[in-house]
Amino acid sequence: MVGSFIPKNKKEALDLKAKYTELIPYSGGTDLMVENRKNPSYLFLGKLNELKGIKKTDGKIEIGAETTFTEALESPIIPQMMKDALILIAAPAIRNTGTFAGNIGNGSAKADSALIEYGLDAVITVESVRGERNIPIEDFYLGRKHIDLNEDEIITKITIPDIHPDFYSYEKVGGRKALAISRIAFLGILEMESDKIKSISVSFGAVSEKIIRYKDVEKMLIGLTKEEAKAKKDEFVKAYEDRMQLTEGRVSADYRKKVTIKLLKEFLKNGGI
Amino acid sequence: MEKIKFKLNGKDEIFEGDLSSRLLDVLRDDFRLTGVKCGCKEGECGACAVLIDKKLVNSCMVAMGAIDGSEIISIEGFKETERFKVLDRAFAELSAVQCGFCTPGMVLAAEALLSENPHPTEEEVRIGISGNLCRCTGYNAIVNAILKASKEGNGLW
Repeated sequence: MVGSFIPKNKKEALDLKAKYTELIPYSGGTDLMVENRKNPSYLFLGKLNELKGIKKTDGKIEIGAETTFTEALESPIIPQMMKDALILIAAPAIRNTGTFAGNIGNGSAKADSALIEYGLDAVITVESVRGERNIPIEDFYLGRKHIDLNEDEIITKITIPDIHPDFYSYEKVGGRKALAISRIAFLGILEMESDKIKSISVSFGAVSEKIIRYKDVEKMLIGLTKEEAKAKKDEFVKAYEDRMQLTEGRVSADYRKKVTIKLLKEFLKNGGI
Repeated sequence: MEKIKFKLNGKDEIFEGDLSSRLLDVLRDDFRLTGVKCGCKEGECGACAVLIDKKLVNSCMVAMGAIDGSEIISIEGFKETERFKVLDRAFAELSAVQCGFCTPGMVLAAEALLSENPHPTEEEVRIGISGNLCRCTGYNAIVNAILKASKEGNGLW
């Protein structure tokens, strides 16, 4: 046990993480403190201004890793679909301290902000004294509670595109309205270009070891008109039905399968497909 | 060991213990602020809520190293304010307190809400206290008390 540290700036944080790789990055603490570890050594990052804040640059939105959910909800820059997910995270006291880095740092497929990041092809920036790496979120998640983060690295930034889709649908299925861990979460995003589908993004959270998104299946509908897509709808839905291997958890895999497919169909229908 | 400085109920304090110590335990055991209740220790009940830099936070989910330079208000500090008096009266008049275990957290959740939104709707009040569990009242009395305080404390928030 090396003890805990409160670095004064990012450079000091990276130096400490390089020197003492066993330091546990502490962001908001809302997940970490529940673990109740014995004699932990924390690296307190939550107050580092260099890792906080939201800015728009060049068609992209950069979210400092230590930004809290409340700060994001108050920001005019954060897209509504992200806010839809954030407002359903836990309760006010937890949103006041919970951060973007913390939500993805534990590698859970139930992380509500991570689902939106998957759907938007977010890029996760991690840094160490050796430099910076920018990792597409689908590569950042390696497996259950397993992320692509080396022992001397910390998460510093999340970048999402500043898009304004024609239609999106976000749904969280939980046991109650507040303080609910997602049992199933869904995000569908539809972007049109004149009368053709420019992109379609379908992501499922909390149903498997990792968030599910099948880009090859999405390709089936890209470039089609909505009428043409309608004709392929059954085939499209079946591709998900066949491929998704959902995990048993707080709810059964069978329930998860039924609800995920229903949410997918609703999204397509409401999006005009 | 690093020292941390913070303000607790208006007074400057220094903490020299283990930075991974839980704020809840330090408030209760070191400062004897036992109005801060320990319910679940996992952020589910809100009984340990305090205000950190004016925001509602569950003190069970905060390590001491995270509050360096912060200002903490517990129910003991908030009790000295005019706002508390209005909430206290409304909670008493509408029987929003039964066993009382959730009350310190509820009152601070109400304060956090009214500070940002002095005239909330019923729905906004329910969202404001959505992280605070009460097993006695069924919540309606608490919601009504907060709405009453919002009306009667006009100008305080």
